[in-house]
Amino acid sequence: MAIQAAPEDVQVATKPLLQVQGLTMSYGFGDSENKILNDLNLDVNDGEFVSIVGPSGVGKTTLLRCLSGLIQPRSGTVSVGGEVINGPHRDLAVVFQDYSRSLMPWMTTLENVAFPLQGRGVGKKERNETAEKNLAAVGLAGQGHKYPWEMSGGMQQRVAIARALAYNAKVLLMDEPFASVDAQTRFDLEDLVIDLQATLGVTIILVTHDIDEALYLADKVIVLAEKPATVVDVIETGFGDHRDQVETKADPRFADARARILHRLRDH
Amino acid sequence: MKTSTKSLDWGLTTQRLLAVAALLAIWQVIIWSGTLPSMTPGVAALASSIGASLASATFWSALAQTMTAAVSGWLIAVAVGTVLGLLIGSVRALDRSTSILIDFGRSFPVLALMPVVIMLLGATAQMETVVVALSCLWPVLVQTIYGARRMESAVVDTVRIFQIPALLRFRRVLLPSATPFIATGIRISASISILVAVGVEVLSQTPGIGRQITLAQQAQRWDSAFAYLFFAGLVGWSIASLLNFAEGRILKWNRQNND
Repeated sequence: MAIQAAPEDVQVATKPLLQVQGLTMSYGFGDSENKILNDLNLDVNDGEFVSIVGPSGVGKTTLLRCLSGLIQPRSGTVSVGGEVINGPHRDLAVVFQDYSRSLMPWMTTLENVAFPLQGRGVGKKERNETAEKNLAAVGLAGQGHKYPWEMSGGMQQRVAIARALAYNAKVLLMDEPFASVDAQTRFDLEDLVIDLQATLGVTIILVTHDIDEALYLADKVIVLAEKPATVVDVIETGFGDHRDQVETKADPRFADARARILHRLRDH
Repeated sequence: MKTSTKSLDWGLTTQRLLAVAALLAIWQVIIWSGTLPSMTPGVAALASSIGASLASATFWSALAQTMTAAVSGWLIAVAVGTVLGLLIGSVRALDRSTSILIDFGRSFPVLALMPVVIMLLGATAQMETVVVALSCLWPVLVQTIYGARRMESAVVDTVRIFQIPALLRFRRVLLPSATPFIATGIRISASISILVAVGVEVLSQTPGIGRQITLAQQAQRWDSAFAYLFFAGLVGWSIASLLNFAEGRILKWNRQNND
């Protein structure tokens, strides 16, 4: 039995967790049609950290909104665990760029993190425990009673991350999550996300315009360019699990990869 | 920090008292100058008349009549306006189809409806309540629709991503997000309710403060007319302050936007 099952298991394991096939997206119709994404294909494996990098306005946010099911592509499919999605999905959580607006100001931090669980019908005691645990995981233990506006931008983004973690989705989608915090906070948050990914094994897809950030965080960097946007390069970073803001960025492979991405973006 | 805000409050209180004193002084100077008719009461006459009113049963029953009509009309408007407003503001099709009606209704001079309502109900307290309710309805309705419509796009996305069920979405997202706007509508309509109640009483001689002002005017009792005017203002101001205080308490989270 076990021997028979083995090849199947291997097959299941190698099948990508999230798969994008022939994704095309445009706004408007006919003469005024504005094509944003053209025939995109992506595979993201279970436990992988993938960055999507590209210049501002290339359509990264549109892509992320397609991946999260917030908008429907014109053609092509997004599937999670082999299931084609046609809207927001249980296995997909999102951390938005605009953390100060995506957190509800009338809820305490704890209520914000517990809210998606409340939506799923989890009892009060259990959801508060889960929220507390996830707040602790992002370094905000015992801060649940505060309101989001009593916290700094970096702390608010930690709350948004805790909320997405508490939802316990298989894939975490992050849209320029650190774009509006200062440099030091940004480094702290980047390292936090790397740690969380290592300890929780969650699959992360992060969209950014910052090439260094894309390289530093990810196992795989997908480069988007052209109009309409298409995948122009896929780079395996190969830095492994241990990363350091100074060491990793001084690694010759880091410089090579950055040069390669810059070339790619300039040529298009 | 705490002492500094406190001393600041004292400074503000002094400034406000000075402003009131200045106003009274200007009033008295105008009286002395003789530009106003000689029957116009000075500060002292006004004060004694206000004191006399406080001791008179007529005043208290007039105040009670005005307040009853104003408050009940206002409460009806708040109840109907919030429920209707939340419904219209959160259902896009309803919002679109009713927008002309709402715009028409809010620009309609409700006092002009009074004669028609008198035909239906007579010059009674019920008539007064209905006219107050109709006047108060629009600010509450319009503000509530605006509040329910206004949900932040990031909040809308968040609610969709986490697949929050409709009822929970209404209770924990739409309602709190609309509350500051509803509160504004309630506050605006509270001042309107006193204004309209007194106005209706003046025009239709329905019992209340407004009627007392007219009676005082006809009896050439300038001092009591002014005293009643003062009370009409005082009531409006007290209600507005009370609501402001309640709003600060209930909408603690919203204070960030006002600071």
